Amino acid sequence: MKKFFSMMLVCVLVFSLVGCGSKEDTSKGSQGGEEVAKQESSEKGASSSDGEEVTLTAWCWDPSFNGAALQQAEAIYKENNPNVTLEIVDMGKIDLEQKLNTNLASGITKGLPDIVLVNDSNIQKFVKSYPGAFADFTGNLDISQFSSYKTDILTVDGKLYGVPFDIGVTGMFYRRDYLEEAGFTPEDLNNITWDEYIEIGKVIGEKVGVHMMTVNPNEEALISVMLQSAESWYITPENQGNFVGNPVMKETMRLYKEFVDSGISKPVTGWSEFVGSFNAGEVATVVSGVWQIASIMDEPSQSGKWGVAPTPRLDIEGGVNASNEGGSSWFVMDSSENKEAAIDFLVSTIGGSSEFYESFLEDSGGVGSYIPAFDTPAYAKEDTFFAGQKVYEDFANWSTKVPGITLGMYTQEAKDALKNELPGIIQGTDIDAALEDAQKVFEQLVQ
Amino acid sequence: MKSLKEGIRLKNQKSYSLQKSKNINGWIFIGLPTILILLFSFYPMIQSLYLSTQKGIGIVYEFNGLGNYKRLFSDPMFRDAIKNTLIYLVVQVPVMLFLGLVLASMLNIPSLKYRSFFRTAIFLPCVTSLVAYSVLFKSLFSLDGIINKLLMGISVISQPIPWLMDPFWAKVVIILAITWRWTGYNMMFYLAAMQNIDTSIYEAAEIDGASKVAQFTKITVPLLKPIILFTTILSTNGTLQLFDEVVNITGGGPGNATVTISQYIYNLSFAYTPNFGYAATVSYAIVFMVAVLAFIQFKVAGDNDE
Repeated sequence: MKKFFSMMLVCVLVFSLVGCGSKEDTSKGSQGGEEVAKQESSEKGASSSDGEEVTLTAWCWDPSFNGAALQQAEAIYKENNPNVTLEIVDMGKIDLEQKLNTNLASGITKGLPDIVLVNDSNIQKFVKSYPGAFADFTGNLDISQFSSYKTDILTVDGKLYGVPFDIGVTGMFYRRDYLEEAGFTPEDLNNITWDEYIEIGKVIGEKVGVHMMTVNPNEEALISVMLQSAESWYITPENQGNFVGNPVMKETMRLYKEFVDSGISKPVTGWSEFVGSFNAGEVATVVSGVWQIASIMDEPSQSGKWGVAPTPRLDIEGGVNASNEGGSSWFVMDSSENKEAAIDFLVSTIGGSSEFYESFLEDSGGVGSYIPAFDTPAYAKEDTFFAGQKVYEDFANWSTKVPGITLGMYTQEAKDALKNELPGIIQGTDIDAALEDAQKVFEQLVQ
Repeated sequence: MKSLKEGIRLKNQKSYSLQKSKNINGWIFIGLPTILILLFSFYPMIQSLYLSTQKGIGIVYEFNGLGNYKRLFSDPMFRDAIKNTLIYLVVQVPVMLFLGLVLASMLNIPSLKYRSFFRTAIFLPCVTSLVAYSVLFKSLFSLDGIINKLLMGISVISQPIPWLMDPFWAKVVIILAITWRWTGYNMMFYLAAMQNIDTSIYEAAEIDGASKVAQFTKITVPLLKPIILFTTILSTNGTLQLFDEVVNITGGGPGNATVTISQYIYNLSFAYTPNFGYAATVSYAIVFMVAVLAFIQFKVAGDNDE
């Protein structure tokens, strides 16, 4: 009897595990239902402009940024379409992605919203993993009005899958006071290479006693910025690993090691430490996306002490002083009952209204890739926090120079494959050997 | 005579139908949970076993036979995850259970004052949220965190230890964190079991001249054996499914030095291009490991007194 109970105990424990790995299969039966819903939606969509009440549900992840942007867009859209109301559901970014994944994998479309925000690095992954789940925007949107690197990302197999939203065009935020103390002028930071950056960092370290930058050995944000600035990425457009035989990758790794070896960087382990380092005045520069402005301005006592210079470039062929970090786009679910209305809403606000981008910039500090908006007065505003520099105009200019790349499907896998090698590279492993390892790990990961 | 026979027959019939209705009631009581377990536990298990033979991304997949299982053996990330998880298991579980046992026997000393205070204090970590305490540990062990400041303040170290940036120290932090969180939990089981041990046994041992240590190893531990086995299996199971702490403290880093199997399953499904088939395969690998480990533990500790 005891044996029997023992075995029961084992069974219960063992099988309590399986739940965590099990995912529901797609139910083929629901596809018929989708068809019906689609037909209904086209009828509804057509009638939406006739005044029938339409409520669009949207998922996004930051109520003060992309959520606020949707509210601004709603206000603009309501002037001509008072019948359309938006219901904005705000949740954490990871939660949103997980929810979208599980919903799409289950094949049941009931729980899905009409509009959803998608991080740019996930676009190809979602579109290819769930064919037919997202509405096709081809022909609905005038893509010539957007920075091409952004619309490149949105195009999968020749079809456009959403409306470009915010971008993360990068710049080098720097402390004017530290720079001056070390005997440099802002011009000395203009269009420099990373090697020059390191040299300046050494001088600042000596004379001011602060670090030039932070390095998080477990994060690859800066590496991504450096790769894109020379039109390269962790993977090739064909979704192959791009570690071996990639001069950009090798140069980036050399510099990454140099950041640590030269002593110009302060090691940090997480986001809050990273933000804390520049809010506390511990570093002289922050190379990051334009959205970092909000965090930098969180420390009012540093007003007037900051400036922004172009991103340093890699000293190799194709390296430019502009890059991108992050960014997202709005998608419409193909199963939505209000598909047409949702597309029309996005295209006529976020997809083509300078008015929207002006209020987006003024209220939330957000920058989009809609080129006509760059000429509006909001972008030409001088900012006292940055000692009168027209920072948004600068960022807008740099955004047109960002090299276009394909983020592909396996960016996250490739990042993890590289991350595995980073501690070794910092400790002095041969870079070629480490990159070969990364390539092997990546190939194993994406079978 | 005839009526008597009739009476007996009737009586038998009556008790037979009573028996029958009792049986039916029993089956109804068992039936509902059985159906629920079948539907929500066994069906997904079988479904995920089927899923583990599929290959592809998202909802686009095809039959792959045992290909996913073959892939396991050449997957360096999986190997790292197994290695890390086993390190946690081999180092952390014995330390934690031993600590729990020692703490429990200390709390069981009748002359101890403020017993309920100590008991509550040691058990308290178990009611904290996994995410909340992980975030706290992360900030405690950051480069300019309080632990480094403390150690430097009492001159144990001269340079701050890069706890979360070094593959070795990152594992140490994870082990410290889960030990802090779960020791009290296991201690509670031991304490409850110890209070069921008849004090006269100890009195007899005392009279025979057994030392306290001998009493502990010769009386307490053997009598607690079923509970120790139970907590061992529970902890093994828990450690193999370790997820929250690692994700929140180190995110699996530096590199993949602290990645666990559960985190790898999560990554395969949600962080990477979704490959639910392979994720299901990896989760069956855990099932296999738990089954084997539990079997070994039963063999070593459980069945030899039968």
